[in-house]
Amino acid sequence: MDKPTRIYQCNNTVDGIFSAVYDAGLSGYGHRFIRIQPIQAGQNENYELFAEYVQVETDSKKTKSVIDAVRQKISEKAYLFIMSAVISDFPDRGDVIYQFVTYGFTLGAKVCNALQIPCVDRIFAMNRAVQNETHFFREFLRFQEVQKDPSLLLAVIEPRHHIIPLLMEHFADRFIEEWFIIYDKTHLEASFHQKGGNWEVYLLTPEKAKKLEELSEQKEEYVDLWKTFFHQIAIKERTNKKLQTSMLPLHYRKHMTEFLEDNP
Amino acid sequence: MIFQDHATIKEKLEILSDAAKYDVACTSSGVSRKGNKGEIGNTAASGICHAFGADGRCISLLKVLFTNECIYNCKYCINRSTNDIPRATFTPEEVCTLTIEFYRRNYIEGLFLSSGIVESPDYTMELVCRTLHDLRTLHRFNGYIHCKAIPGASRELIEEAGWYADRMSINLELPTARGLQELAPNKNRTTILTPMRQIQNGMAESRAMLGMKGGNQSAYWYTQKRTGRALPGEQATLHTTQNLFGQKKAPEKLADNSLKEAQTAPDNLISSSNTGLTQWKHRDISRGFVPAGQSTQMIIGATGESDYEIMAVTEALYQRFDLKRVFFSAFININQDSSLPAVNGQPLLRREHRLYQADFLLRYYGFRADELLTQQRPFFNTYLDPKCDWALSHLEQFPVEINTADFNTLLRVPGIGTKSAQRIVAARRTGKLDYHALKAIGVVMKRAIYFITCNGQMMYHFLKIDEDYITRNLLENDVDVMKGFDEKVTYKQLTLFDDSDYEDTN
Repeated sequence: MDKPTRIYQCNNTVDGIFSAVYDAGLSGYGHRFIRIQPIQAGQNENYELFAEYVQVETDSKKTKSVIDAVRQKISEKAYLFIMSAVISDFPDRGDVIYQFVTYGFTLGAKVCNALQIPCVDRIFAMNRAVQNETHFFREFLRFQEVQKDPSLLLAVIEPRHHIIPLLMEHFADRFIEEWFIIYDKTHLEASFHQKGGNWEVYLLTPEKAKKLEELSEQKEEYVDLWKTFFHQIAIKERTNKKLQTSMLPLHYRKHMTEFLEDNP
Repeated sequence: MIFQDHATIKEKLEILSDAAKYDVACTSSGVSRKGNKGEIGNTAASGICHAFGADGRCISLLKVLFTNECIYNCKYCINRSTNDIPRATFTPEEVCTLTIEFYRRNYIEGLFLSSGIVESPDYTMELVCRTLHDLRTLHRFNGYIHCKAIPGASRELIEEAGWYADRMSINLELPTARGLQELAPNKNRTTILTPMRQIQNGMAESRAMLGMKGGNQSAYWYTQKRTGRALPGEQATLHTTQNLFGQKKAPEKLADNSLKEAQTAPDNLISSSNTGLTQWKHRDISRGFVPAGQSTQMIIGATGESDYEIMAVTEALYQRFDLKRVFFSAFININQDSSLPAVNGQPLLRREHRLYQADFLLRYYGFRADELLTQQRPFFNTYLDPKCDWALSHLEQFPVEINTADFNTLLRVPGIGTKSAQRIVAARRTGKLDYHALKAIGVVMKRAIYFITCNGQMMYHFLKIDEDYITRNLLENDVDVMKGFDEKVTYKQLTLFDDSDYEDTN
């Protein structure tokens, strides 16, 4: 039997996607014919011929109910996969999460290992991409002291995915006694960590974002010392730029202290 | 010698990081520790690299010497006493400030402190200990510290450093005692192996008393356990390696006993001051003693050892000293000393690379050194990695059926690593695997296809399990399998590559 594809259009947010998964799952329309399409506000989407469109109403209760079901009926690992996928920037993540959840309800916990199923392979890859990017920024993110007494540290990053919450888990534990800001230039978000361990993520207006960028253009003494160290520690006889580039892709160097040109 | 007494911190950093760059082990792995209120820092078991230098090596720690003034005259070392180079010495305060300020900016994962020998080993070790003490207590630094034990320093000072550090290392410097005698006349095997044993025992004791403290066992240990072999410390008889270590057997025997004691009756050990740890009451024991384990490094190609000898020493170090890692550093002739071999241009990077590959085979894949090399064939193949090389000479064990082979067999297939093998075993529980799924799992198909079957079939019908055929295709690098049809190219043309002379190839 062939039916027209039904496309659930939802907000491009965590709640939006989970709401669509919830609605699609309850519709009983048939998993094969369902697609989920997150829509960025103010952006025109391509519409398909011969498909039904359903607008999804975003509701955080639906999110909770999907998450609870995943944790109870599948596993914590599946929950981790889904959360990584949902904060990622892949356009097909709605579809993949939906298919993964439906497989998960049949297979149970072992679905996470079943890489021979295409949607599991895909969500596995999404999880890996998000975790890898987080790890890269754990490594290559650079703070600078933009204010003394009390000291305030600021880092600018341009990640592809919404990884600030994952990064903060790491840095909030590491720098409990510091005030610091991590500013995500791609998504205009910033997390603000207070001395003692409290932190929150804020959406920024363009004016505030600009202010943060201006702050980040200051120069401080340790930059110079770090550059000295960075250049001294390499062994000339072993120079291998290709290896350096594969370990530290150019993309990440954009805001790294040691690769920034000196301002005259 | 040029002494820089009133050097600025920048000049000192310039000199002392330049002097430290030949140290290899810049890892920050092996222990995971959460942050504490009132302190700065945490550690991650995986280790975190913070940058990669122009030579492609990772920079994860602030790798500096405390001083490069050295009374020793090791012929391979840039800091040997007869070299006319600028010298400098940090103060403990300077090292601490640099570490903390770099750490706060996420430049580094911690400190890697080594030192030239100034005045005496004890005096030097004391300076190092004082620096670490200040960093941990005054500056409340909870991040990673890697510290070199100075050969010849007293037991007390080595132990003190061990309570502050996460990882300690003592450089073996050269693979054989003979080589050491020639090139580092002020050092000998005993002063190197004794502290190594002391740290090993201290770690075992600390683990028995305090638990792992976020640290983990070495990869070698896990692999041996999985394959059901004897674990480090349990097996005392080793054939080929005994004479490589010279006659220094006495302290080891003593130490082996105390290790056994530590495993069975930890309570008796606190009071026995002769062996084991003595400073429980005076030190902060909350981190444990050297929780991230110890490592060592040796220089490759300065003296005439074969790869076989090097691998045998490496294996012995894992088995008997429970090291986390053994590092190799390709010899670079900095001093142009007449007793050292002339290395023109590029250092022996290919050889170093092959040794590292083999080291991983020992630690993660359950290979034994004598499976990879023999006395008759003492060098690695320059053109094939050690695993492919091994597989090619053991074709009777292939092909391996992906859907039924056990984990240890899968690990021996070229193109399948530990992660792919784990994923294969886990994915098989849900259903059969095909070649498409293998790709998704991350198997390197260009190497694996010659050695595996899926559901009884090889990936292409024309693949042959034939040494010449596979070698030829593997060597065509990024193999386009279809090209494998070209029967005109014969293996004979390649035999001239199949030798062990590394110098020609670099």
